Amino acid sequence: MSEPLMRLLAELPAAELEPERAERIRRSCRARLTRQAPRAWNSGITFAPLWRPLVALLGVAYLIGAIIEAVRVYRFS
Amino acid sequence: MTAVDREAELALVARLRQGDADAFDDVYSAFNTRLFTFLVRLSRRRDVAEDLLEETWLRLVKHARRLRPDTRLAPWLFTVARHLHVSFNRSRVLEDSAAVSLLAVWPFSLEQASPFEAVAAGELERRIEHALAALPSTSREVLLLVGVAGLSHSDAADVCGITPEALRQRLHRAREALANALERDAATEPPVLGGIASCPSR
Repeated sequence: MSEPLMRLLAELPAAELEPERAERIRRSCRARLTRQAPRAWNSGITFAPLWRPLVALLGVAYLIGAIIEAVRVYRFS
Repeated sequence: MTAVDREAELALVARLRQGDADAFDDVYSAFNTRLFTFLVRLSRRRDVAEDLLEETWLRLVKHARRLRPDTRLAPWLFTVARHLHVSFNRSRVLEDSAAVSLLAVWPFSLEQASPFEAVAAGELERRIEHALAALPSTSREVLLLVGVAGLSHSDAADVCGITPEALRQRLHRAREALANALERDAATEPPVLGGIASCPSR
């Protein structure tokens, strides 16, 4: 009896949301998604390319400074 | 759209992660009726189901950017919907007897059936709905996820937070409980079209 039972369950009618409410939910979610998008995505796009090279540049500068200092100490010792 | 193929689903997830509102529309069209049907039958109350449905979609919007690229939308959405229902039940105890009386909420679509078949099928559906509504929530949800929403055993197990093996066992018990409830119901009411057991399909 299990298989016919599952078939009967699959054939049960779907519940329909009132079209006005469905449309209201859809519009509200769309609006929220659109509002979220510029803030979240712009911040990613604007800052990600900036801070990474900056950190790399500072790291390289620090490394060069350390090497120069090491050479200077070695030469005068 | 009753099922989203995997490639299209991955593309939809990628667009959602970028905040594409048209992608949201596509997901909404694909899943809204299935989710609402699941929530109505799980909660047994239209007003509750409407609120939980709205909250499910709001959760998707809220988490859209943080979705994993390989997210599977059906399990994700049904998991959120189920969790919301569990939270709702924790905050408010539902009266079973009152809920069963609120079941006549689905329009029947029997355009091609004869008047007798239409009445019989409507009666059959009414019996199934009542039997389903009388089941414990854990049994009802697995039957709704697998039998009505059409999720695979593996996806339904993910939604319920159990192993596929535990899901199979729970589904087996739920089927038995539903069959017993239908037989009890058939024994107390005059059978239409010879009763449930002899009417496997319409």
